[in-house]
Amino acid sequence: MSFEMWAEKYRPKTLDEIVNQREIVERLKSFVKAKNVPHCIFAGPPGTGKTTAALCLARDLYGDAYREHLMELNASDERGIDVVRETVKTFARVRSIGEVPFKILILDEADNMTADAQQALRRTMERYTETCRFILIANYSGKIIEPIQSRCAPFRFTYLPKAEHDAFLRRIAENESVTLLDDGLEAIFDVCSGDMRKAINTLQAAASLGKPITAEIVYSVVGRAHPADVQKMVLTALNGDFTGAREKLREMIQKYGVAGTDIIRQIHTEIFRLSIPEPWKIRLADTVGEIDFRLVQGSNEEVQLSAMLARLVEAGYEMKQTEKG
Amino acid sequence: MYTAWTLKHKPRTLKDVIGNKQAIQTLIEWVKAWNKAAPKKKAAFLYGPPGIGKTVTVEALAHDLDMELVEKNASDYRTEDAVKRFAGIASQYATLFGKKRLILFDELDGITGTQDRGGVKALTEIIKTTRCPIVLIANNAYDPRFTNLRRYCMLIQFKKPPVSEVVKLLKKICLREGIAAEEAALRFIAQRSGGDVRSAINDLQALAQGKTRLTYDDVSWLAYRDRQENIFTVLKMIFYARSCTSAKQAVDMAEVDPDMLFEWIYENAPQHLTHPQDLARAMDALSIADVYRGRIRKTGNWKFMRYFLDFMTAGVAMARQKSRPSGWTPFRFPKRIQELSRTKGKRRLELAIGTKIKRRFHMSAYRASKEVLPYIKIIFENNVEMAAGIARWLDLDKEMIEYIVSDEKAKAILEHMETL
Repeated sequence: MSFEMWAEKYRPKTLDEIVNQREIVERLKSFVKAKNVPHCIFAGPPGTGKTTAALCLARDLYGDAYREHLMELNASDERGIDVVRETVKTFARVRSIGEVPFKILILDEADNMTADAQQALRRTMERYTETCRFILIANYSGKIIEPIQSRCAPFRFTYLPKAEHDAFLRRIAENESVTLLDDGLEAIFDVCSGDMRKAINTLQAAASLGKPITAEIVYSVVGRAHPADVQKMVLTALNGDFTGAREKLREMIQKYGVAGTDIIRQIHTEIFRLSIPEPWKIRLADTVGEIDFRLVQGSNEEVQLSAMLARLVEAGYEMKQTEKG
Repeated sequence: MYTAWTLKHKPRTLKDVIGNKQAIQTLIEWVKAWNKAAPKKKAAFLYGPPGIGKTVTVEALAHDLDMELVEKNASDYRTEDAVKRFAGIASQYATLFGKKRLILFDELDGITGTQDRGGVKALTEIIKTTRCPIVLIANNAYDPRFTNLRRYCMLIQFKKPPVSEVVKLLKKICLREGIAAEEAALRFIAQRSGGDVRSAINDLQALAQGKTRLTYDDVSWLAYRDRQENIFTVLKMIFYARSCTSAKQAVDMAEVDPDMLFEWIYENAPQHLTHPQDLARAMDALSIADVYRGRIRKTGNWKFMRYFLDFMTAGVAMARQKSRPSGWTPFRFPKRIQELSRTKGKRRLELAIGTKIKRRFHMSAYRASKEVLPYIKIIFENNVEMAAGIARWLDLDKEMIEYIVSDEKAKAILEHMETL
């Protein structure tokens, strides 16, 4: 077993090493061949290889010294229009020396930028097109403003299909001399649903226990990483205890740092497992969907999820009324 | 029903406005002068501390002189474009119905930041060409932002009214509300408000509403519980308002900023909207308010502020359909805020670790601390060798390792790192 984080160790280094997202990789390879890259948007869920593809593209394009021609910015960290604009300007303004006459700038989590910052970015992109090409990485391309979208070649990344997910994890397990049992592998796919970073982290955390990896171990690892007892919270709400349910929610978010989108996804799963009248499930799913949407639009996850809990309390009450009625 | 006394007992005519006789006289003469020809200074700039009747004076003046008052708050004219929209109104001397116009730009202090400088400039332009009197109100007319604007304005200073006048006013209100109040009690309230009449009336309401008597003992303890008393009154106004307007007025009364008020409402709503259907409606309103807050943040456009306020106040108030008043339920300090300040150090350290992870992992420090750190924690708890390797690889320091695992494990990991 090696002692670094496997998710980095096994990150593909060249486009050829990327085994999935074949259509995307083919197009990127054609860019390398032509030694020309347009501005791009890589959109898709986490852990599907967006950043990896961008890094591989750069390496294939510039060779081993690719770092000199590449800059990675993260919109979430490098907050504020000014910081991004200044950094980008300084980097983009100087022409690259060598066969490829432009640099590449990867802007990760670009969908976290405000509309204003994106407008400023758009102008910068235009001004320095000759010397710098931008790869914007986002979970939702819809949150990138229209004028930027229309200037970029769009690439849509999707979760890895199960077969490829399995093959990749098996290869790592073999390399690291870890025994990965079939049901353990199933369990990883069940909880990570194709998010490779999460899957590899889960595999490594499970391996750190030093035992063959079974489903039980996987679930216990995930339970400790994200101790979101969503089921309990949902039941508390349905039983009419809003404040109690909100306490649980607060604990998940503040103490354990569980992301709002993860909680809402689990609530969604949970709704369909409940023993409540069937029509209620789809009614509640509608609320879940609405709140999921508002999570993206709003500013405070706890407030949004609390609205979901209040709706569950109300649903519990109404179900009881019907029973009595 | 909860109506703010500041509104219920607001003076309708100038003779009911207390204090500032000289300033008011100057203002009247200036407005009347417009009947002959536009005076040299086409705007009057009223300034002075909050709550002493600047806005009320202008409203009463419009009433007494039978003019149409066009009233704008800072939120209506933050930007240049927003101000320009009022240019049309200012270009006409009278309304269609022959009433003369008086334009009031209130809360000029609310224009902030560089982006809004254009707003002050556009306002100056309107004043230069206006055909009807414009009144500006701010706490501080000598703010550097207003340097140029001031040249086109007649400055009128408003001062705090004397305590005796405030006491007289409070007495009048008590009389109308049917409350027998001790003079000493009212004097205490008036003195404590430091000349801020609005806050004196709010205090009186908080202390005396629903009572028939008000004694010195009833009020003397107040000094200690100032801010809380205020927020309690405001929350009651919101949770028990029957009209949207009265719920919305609560925002003006609150001494905390809207975000903090939101937290108070969010924390306490379940105790006051006890019926499940009411609560669901209330939380939905707060959720929508939060979406508007998100829009303010994303677009940088403050016009969404008013919808944020609508939903967190009126939206919550209108949710009440079946809940009974919950009697005396103490209001609780927002727990979310308490927790956030309690866990500040923890979050700082997590972010520092996140930044270390970021350097290796091509993701933001925040996401790294949320998505990768939990797994690192598990590895650190179970496998000293692997942990030491990773700690070295990420360049974690002692404090970080001790944060991630128990002291004993941390010691083992640190020792093992030495051997690498």
